[in-house]
Amino acid sequence: MNPAPGPNAEAVFFWLIALLCVGGALATISRRNAVSAVMCLVGTLFATAVLYVMLYAHFIAIIQVLVYAGAVMVLFVFVVMILNKEEEEPWALRGVIGKGIAGAALVYFSGRLIGLLWRVPSPRGEPPPSFGTTRDIAHELFAGYLFPFEAVSLVLLIAVVGALVVAHPKHEAHRE
Amino acid sequence: MSDVVWNLGIHHFLALAVVLFAIGVVGVLFRRNALIVLMSIELMMNAANLTVLAFARRHGDVRGHALAMIVIAIAAAEAAVGLAIVVGVFRAARHANIDRLTSLKH
Repeated sequence: MNPAPGPNAEAVFFWLIALLCVGGALATISRRNAVSAVMCLVGTLFATAVLYVMLYAHFIAIIQVLVYAGAVMVLFVFVVMILNKEEEEPWALRGVIGKGIAGAALVYFSGRLIGLLWRVPSPRGEPPPSFGTTRDIAHELFAGYLFPFEAVSLVLLIAVVGALVVAHPKHEAHRE
Repeated sequence: MSDVVWNLGIHHFLALAVVLFAIGVVGVLFRRNALIVLMSIELMMNAANLTVLAFARRHGDVRGHALAMIVIAIAAAEAAVGLAIVVGVFRAARHANIDRLTSLKH
């Protein structure tokens, strides 16, 4: 990373990106129109990729933009195009008591979790220059994690076949 | 000294991940559109990934990056299957409102 122009420039940048992230996430869950929700989610994913770069995870940031903000979101956009119907009542208010309790518990446990994680000490100094490079990750992935890697490829294959089977319209044509 | 984490502290990233995860949980709990629920799940996976990468940075351990990559692959598979299910449900029921999908209840 380049030398900082000022002492707190990076902190300002972080807060900007964090604001973008949280704002995009809030917009994602509050939009009535599904297309704008997808677009807000894409913005959030890009902001998260910037955060990954800040954590020296360059390769994962690129994968995030390519796979998530690219491929997965295109999938979402296509499905939204297929079934584009705006909701009449987007927020589920049935069972509001249980959900209120769940929301309160969520706020409480999030606060506790932040309080816990706030005490995690920061690392001293910069990581080695090889940290987070493609070579480093490939070495780790193909030496120590070869079996999970291959298992993931199998999972992806099964997911694609399963998605085809579930979404294929042939069964319905037989029924009608 | 030009390092972001050095200036800012790793706990900011972790707290941001908690906030993102909480927003995802709120989306899953309170929205009715199945698509938005799926997007909230993606949001939660991103928060988990952010935590993993923050701790990988904290310990200088690149194994966290390998884990994050596997998580992204699994999330892509999950999105494909989830969206296929949503399309199938929409085809059968003509809507994707999770509160009205109660045919398995009775």
